[in-house]
Amino acid sequence: MKNKRKLLFRIAALLIVLAVAGTMFVIGRGHTIYFDNKETSYNGQTVAPFYNVKVTVGDQKPAKLSKGDRGMADLMGQTLSVTLEITDSEGGTPHAHKVSMKVPYNMDGIAINVPALMAGLPQDAYLSEFVIKEPEPTAEDEEIVTDELENIGGDL
Amino acid sequence: MNENNTNKKNGSLDILTLAQRFSVPLMFIIICAICIPVSGLSMNMLLDEIVTRMGRNAFLILSLLIPIMAGMGLNFGMTLGAMAAEIALIFVSDWQIVGIPGMVLAAIVSVPISVLLGVFCGKILNEAKGREMITSYIMSFFVNGIYQLVVLYLMGSIIPIKHGAIKLPRGYGIRNTVSLLNMRQKLDNLLAIRIHGVKIPVATFIIIALLCLFIVWFSRTKLGQDMRAVGQDMEVARDAGINVDRTRIISIVMSTVLAGFGMIIYLQNMGNIATYSAHSQIGMFCIAALLVGGASVDRASIGNVFLGVILFHTMFIVAPKAGAVITGDSMIGEYFRVFVSYAVITVALIMYETNKRRQKKTAGQQLAQAQKEEAAGKEGEA
Repeated sequence: MKNKRKLLFRIAALLIVLAVAGTMFVIGRGHTIYFDNKETSYNGQTVAPFYNVKVTVGDQKPAKLSKGDRGMADLMGQTLSVTLEITDSEGGTPHAHKVSMKVPYNMDGIAINVPALMAGLPQDAYLSEFVIKEPEPTAEDEEIVTDELENIGGDL
Repeated sequence: MNENNTNKKNGSLDILTLAQRFSVPLMFIIICAICIPVSGLSMNMLLDEIVTRMGRNAFLILSLLIPIMAGMGLNFGMTLGAMAAEIALIFVSDWQIVGIPGMVLAAIVSVPISVLLGVFCGKILNEAKGREMITSYIMSFFVNGIYQLVVLYLMGSIIPIKHGAIKLPRGYGIRNTVSLLNMRQKLDNLLAIRIHGVKIPVATFIIIALLCLFIVWFSRTKLGQDMRAVGQDMEVARDAGINVDRTRIISIVMSTVLAGFGMIIYLQNMGNIATYSAHSQIGMFCIAALLVGGASVDRASIGNVFLGVILFHTMFIVAPKAGAVITGDSMIGEYFRVFVSYAVITVALIMYETNKRRQKKTAGQQLAQAQKEEAAGKEGEA
């Protein structure tokens, strides 16, 4: 009886740890979000870029995007909440919009086209995966340092 | 008059004993007292550095206390926990789990690896009773070889690693440095406050305080008491019904797991992993810091940890600057601090061995005296 209870406690502890790990996977998933203020076409419909867009994600430094610019922000978790301050034309009054959306889990880099998003187009029109191209390997990159005494002159 | 003389003599003896007992911390206080003004560092900057290093290193050093409690000496095998933490952090970086959740996940992932390595280490140490320190030291080199095999050849080829920023350009193996930029100082900055320009990483200190409380609580539990008993005398503990080998394995497993957590805290502060060298010297420097705090091979306390961190790292901060001022070459200071780290461990080991021999000799003399007296008593009776 005592052993059975012990086993049950152990299984419960293991399940709790697994649940915590699962939660961390979801709430801690990092994404790099790229905001584009560029012209885009979808099903023959062309959306023109704004004169200026100020993108603010959380407490990160806002990105100011002129026509054709790209800005980026880091995101932790699966929900992107962004404030867009849009100026339609030169000298125009900026109008702010708060947008919240779920981002795909499997994408590290996500490119969002702001004009397409604001035009109310479907997700596949404004959201795409952005993959950074790996640099060509160099001989220097391959050199592995396993020196035990490397810490001399290093920090602790 | 005679009593007064005896008291004076006892008093001076006590001071001498205390001076002997705390000779290493005293020596470091003197070194720091000389080097601080010479280095020209401002008090604020020095305090900021010491507080940062305390947050960075204290958890790792605290992980050494439990094996000392169990009489297994200074656990050079804590490196195994550090390697487990590095493997966990590499995985977490590849899975792109960032910030505090990344640290928590790395801690969870490191536990089974640490436990496995800890059990392995504990079993080997049970086969080498009385030679635990040298055995764990050499074992850390052996496991480092396995670690390199895993990280350099298996990761990316057999163990899936997706991101090119982590992998070597040849397609398998991990780069020399893995960036933890999206985890960097996330714990230190959580609830951090600034007092006169000195950043206090409150959340890190809370975690360290919790570990201190855990160690105090643990030492009062049945298992903690068993460890103390095993540490004092294995034969007596075995006669008292304690499973000595199991208790020793548990102490090493606990130390390895805690060292893994400590390494995660250490690396989040640094902001990157030196994949092939971050763990290699960590055991040495943590042990040196503990010894500088006045601990010995068979006795260490939480107080020793904090005093050690302050003194050892003050020396670490000021020595290169002082060396540069005195000799014009900062490398002299660098070599000095590394030399002192090794020297302090050597001195502690010599002192431990000398005391052990002295105690053995005294016990032998007492036994011989008792036998002599017993024989004289029997002769008298006859």
